[in-house]
Amino acid sequence: MTQILSKFRTDFIKMGLVFIFLATVPLWIGRIGLYDYIALEILIWCIYAMGYNLALGYTGLPSFGHGAFFGIGAYAMAIYQFHFGGTSLWIGLSLSILAGIVFGAVTGGLVSHRRGIYFALLTIAFGQMFWFLAIKLRDVTKGEDGLLNLERLPVDFGFFSIDISSSNSLYYFSLVIFVIVVVLLWLLIHSNFGYVIRALKQNETRAQFLGYNVRFFKLISFTLSCAISALAGGLFALAQRSAFPDVMALHWSGIIVMMVIIGGGMVSFWGPVLGVMFYFITRDIVGGITEAWLMWFGAAFMAVIVFQPEGIAGMWGNLSKRFQRVNTKTKLEEPQEAQHEPV
Amino acid sequence: MEFFLDILPHILNGLTIGLLFALIALGFTLIVGVMELINLAHGSLFALGAYLALATMSYLGASGFTSPTIFQYSAALVVAPIGVAGVGMGLELGMRRTYGKDPLYGLLFTFGAALVIEEGIRQFWGSNDLYFPTPSFISGPIILGDLFYPKYRIFASIFAIIMIILLWFFIERTKVGAIIKAGAHDSEMVRALGINLTVLRAGVFALGTALAGIAGIILGPIWGVRPHMGVDAVIPAFLIVVVGGVGSFRGSVIAGIAVGLTSGITAYFAEDWSILSIYILLAVVLIVRQRGLFGKASSLDT
Repeated sequence: MTQILSKFRTDFIKMGLVFIFLATVPLWIGRIGLYDYIALEILIWCIYAMGYNLALGYTGLPSFGHGAFFGIGAYAMAIYQFHFGGTSLWIGLSLSILAGIVFGAVTGGLVSHRRGIYFALLTIAFGQMFWFLAIKLRDVTKGEDGLLNLERLPVDFGFFSIDISSSNSLYYFSLVIFVIVVVLLWLLIHSNFGYVIRALKQNETRAQFLGYNVRFFKLISFTLSCAISALAGGLFALAQRSAFPDVMALHWSGIIVMMVIIGGGMVSFWGPVLGVMFYFITRDIVGGITEAWLMWFGAAFMAVIVFQPEGIAGMWGNLSKRFQRVNTKTKLEEPQEAQHEPV
Repeated sequence: MEFFLDILPHILNGLTIGLLFALIALGFTLIVGVMELINLAHGSLFALGAYLALATMSYLGASGFTSPTIFQYSAALVVAPIGVAGVGMGLELGMRRTYGKDPLYGLLFTFGAALVIEEGIRQFWGSNDLYFPTPSFISGPIILGDLFYPKYRIFASIFAIIMIILLWFFIERTKVGAIIKAGAHDSEMVRALGINLTVLRAGVFALGTALAGIAGIILGPIWGVRPHMGVDAVIPAFLIVVVGGVGSFRGSVIAGIAVGLTSGITAYFAEDWSILSIYILLAVVLIVRQRGLFGKASSLDT
């Protein structure tokens, strides 16, 4: 317990620095040639990626259908506004989370006895099925065009309410949600539950022999991950002022995996954030030079997989470790496994 | 009778597509068996096969909407799969460093490759749909009593059946096939018996991807050729592999035909929902038989 507290103290400082950094982004992003909206988009995808990494990086569940849950969250918000005339932000976001939990639990229930690449194959199938339904249920979803012209509902506390219709104000609202999600995820990962899912990522059979109901833990972790993704999806619907099936397709489900892997989600808590930033900044810079930017991104990703499978965070970790080793030659080397364990 | 004549073309369509899906799924399952790798680039290589065939035909002088000669078409059927197999072997070479690590990395590598190939096609041939001309002897309809049916689809079915029989003969009746099957069972033991595993893997990857390329050429005239046609083929192929049981030859063929027939017959009743019926089939099979129709316990489960 004291260990966790001291761990929390050091990580809390890191977390605080990241949050302060993110809070300053709208102040300078215009000056470096980018625009307000991209900061908002990056932040929402960061929430999504952090949620996804609970499944991939911490539980070892390679879901290739997570885009579906992101999209389902967006549709929950959109359907609430569009078909039910909803005007409460809190109900909209709650419905997003609830939809993520329901669809995530059903899917998880059907796939959680699988692992490894069989799991990946089945999540592809479910993701494509939800995507297909989103296109075909035209009465509910308006097909491929999606539900358009959504309101960015005000943050209503009863006695006063804050308007978040500008990209910057929605950015700060999303930042608050990001902070809550990150802190809760940190606590979850360092709880007993967190240790169990990390154990079953390393060796599921051994965790089972220790008496843990691994299927149950996988199901809960997958469902929570879907819920966070769906929450991000609800914010995405507000940011885009629409919900559409595109983000649910295999293409986008694969892109979120790429972001998390490139950033180093397998070895680092902050990996997903690095990966999302890398993706969007590459898209805006390389995309400005050549239309084929996705080809170069794909090629870069292949190189990362072959030469630096631990991603940006892994690279940083290796560099700083080398630096420390030079400074403290007498100190014993860290155990090797520590490199592969998210911290 | 009236009903039967109405639904017969849909059944035949389903059969044709199902046999071609089975061909894609067989290439896919060969790679899964020997390499324990899900090749997400399979769909892009399928599309690449169609584009390479078009390029070969136009290089040999066929142009636009005129029918190519039998020579031009057969040349495309030989050259394009070889080209696809070459790209496939290049991929296998590139991902050798991921062997022995988490199998997830191989999967991710092929996802990156899929993006690169698809975007590459877009850059090289453009994003528009292309028309794939067929030789005159397999163009036009065939008339059987009251039924008009495109000759090309009959040709496609027969071609797919011949390919499946040849492949079956190769796997079940030749020494190389025996090595491939043994490799799927336990590749370490195969290496211990003195078989060069590196060559085996490259060969299996070439064969599996070439099958995807061939299926792309045959499906090209039916679907039209476009950069993202791969996804439309590879998702049913994934499902066929899961429904039939991973690593089972018989399972892939039977599941392919079942999936084709299900979507074909559903298309008769509700055009829009033919794809969804495949997912329902998948769900039913997985609830009744967890490992698919003919699946055995495999390394993929762990």
